[in-house]
Amino acid sequence: MCPAAFRSMLSNTGPVAKLYLSIIDDVIESMRELYLDEGLEDRVLDDLRRLWESKMMQSKAMEDFRKNNINSSNFVLQLPDHYGQIDRERTATVVIPASQSIHRFPVKNNSETLATFSLPAGLAYPVQIPAGVTLQTASGQLYKVNVPVVVTQAPVGQKPLSLHIQKAPAPQSTAAPPTTKPPQQVEPPPAPAPSVSQLPQPDLPPSPESSPVQQPQVPAAGATQLPVVPSPPAEENEPSAQPEPVNYSMTSSPCSQLLEEALAQTTQLKSRDIDDILKEVIEEERVKAERRRNLPPARAQDQTEAVLAGLDLDYSYSELSDIVQLDGPADNSDAEEEGGAPLEENDFLGIINAEAIKALQEGGGSSDGNSISSSSDSEGADKLSAEDEDPLNSGDDVIEQDIPDLFDTDNVIVCQYDKIHRSKNRWKFHLKDGVMCYAGRDYVFSKAVGEAEW
Amino acid sequence: MAYQLYRNTTLGNSLQESLDELIQQITPQLALQVLLQFDKAINTALASRVRNRVNFRGSLNTYRFCDNVWTFVLNDVEFREVTDLVKVDKVKIVACDGKSESTQNKSDK
Repeated sequence: MCPAAFRSMLSNTGPVAKLYLSIIDDVIESMRELYLDEGLEDRVLDDLRRLWESKMMQSKAMEDFRKNNINSSNFVLQLPDHYGQIDRERTATVVIPASQSIHRFPVKNNSETLATFSLPAGLAYPVQIPAGVTLQTASGQLYKVNVPVVVTQAPVGQKPLSLHIQKAPAPQSTAAPPTTKPPQQVEPPPAPAPSVSQLPQPDLPPSPESSPVQQPQVPAAGATQLPVVPSPPAEENEPSAQPEPVNYSMTSSPCSQLLEEALAQTTQLKSRDIDDILKEVIEEERVKAERRRNLPPARAQDQTEAVLAGLDLDYSYSELSDIVQLDGPADNSDAEEEGGAPLEENDFLGIINAEAIKALQEGGGSSDGNSISSSSDSEGADKLSAEDEDPLNSGDDVIEQDIPDLFDTDNVIVCQYDKIHRSKNRWKFHLKDGVMCYAGRDYVFSKAVGEAEW
Repeated sequence: MAYQLYRNTTLGNSLQESLDELIQQITPQLALQVLLQFDKAINTALASRVRNRVNFRGSLNTYRFCDNVWTFVLNDVEFREVTDLVKVDKVKIVACDGKSESTQNKSDK
């Protein structure tokens, strides 16, 4: 199969995914020369590409890419189960001859790693995949084919789960098939059973069941390359059937561990209740308040006055409004921070407000919107009532949404405008070259025409 | 220089995150070059490789025009393509001037 066939694989994907992948290609290739000029290795650019692609695959933006691949026939390449841990800081080369040991592929769970590849409907078995081609599983994980591979279809009726390791004594083949423990998570596909045949005798049985490849931490861990096996020696006519040892190499990335930690932390955060978070916040504030109280011993008297004043102040404020105080009525952190003089002003204002409101209530003011129940006696409040009555017509106020919250949304369209037209309160939009993100999924358009009424 | 508008997309944000993770291996100047190259690539790609049309209708909650950038917030919008219909309860549209011929350097959120 030539690279053109691989590109035809992409034709089955959604248009958005194709566009994104092509943009990624453009950017990476255009930066290659610049990176070389800077003296950086290709590995850095490949790391960037891998990170970028893995993040895109993880996001729902590429969901259509994965969706379109589910219905295609799949062939499963199973990595050997006794792939062990490799040192992440070194590039490990795995050679799979008949008699040598195999390094483990670092897996999150202890189950095997199944790599499920979807085959375009137009292609028929056997399929040749040349070296250097990047394959993508149904779940989005990328694998690079290091040596030429021929994917053939196993005979019908062969058991799907019986994958056996057999060290092939065939002289022309230096590859050993992987072990064959039945995978733990398996889903039988509807298509006929394709398989990767590795050797003539121990044909890798078709594994029509496909299990999702392991979690995204693995792609982020660096370049993952398949231990792809060369074609069986029976197909000697194929020029690509070279009995080369399979190379499996994995380059490390410093961010793999960070990614794992971040994911672990986010899962922990998500599991916490909002109530727990609120309680912690309240506790922290109380602790801070206590520390402030304990700090300056010389100002103890002022503090006690402040405490009392603060208490009164808070009490009156809490009566005035319906706002729930998370820090409790006894908290006086604000009062202590401001110091003595501003606190007195606050007291004064608090008293004035209480008096004014009392006066309004007695005078039958228009403050019906507030549930005020101040019971403090006030003298001379009649003088203030006339002055404060108009500004306190809170019933006329229009409740407005907070501006920051108004513009805070996940559904964003980023585009350019050709023309924006307004006629009275009818608006017409002529937009172009836009990307829309809605519910995590991405949509693109070259032109968008819309109407809205304000 | 192309609009930096598209950095606040899934593609742009994932690129920025990836560059942040590799910041120890690449210089900030190089990372900036990557982003500038991304701006060019996505502007070109959207102009040349995308050929679909969308209609939408909704109610306009707010509008803002500042520095030649329109920002709208629409509610209860229906986006209609030939095959698809998507309903959104709230969407924000950020639009730069598409007819500006001079090279502009806008970044929006």
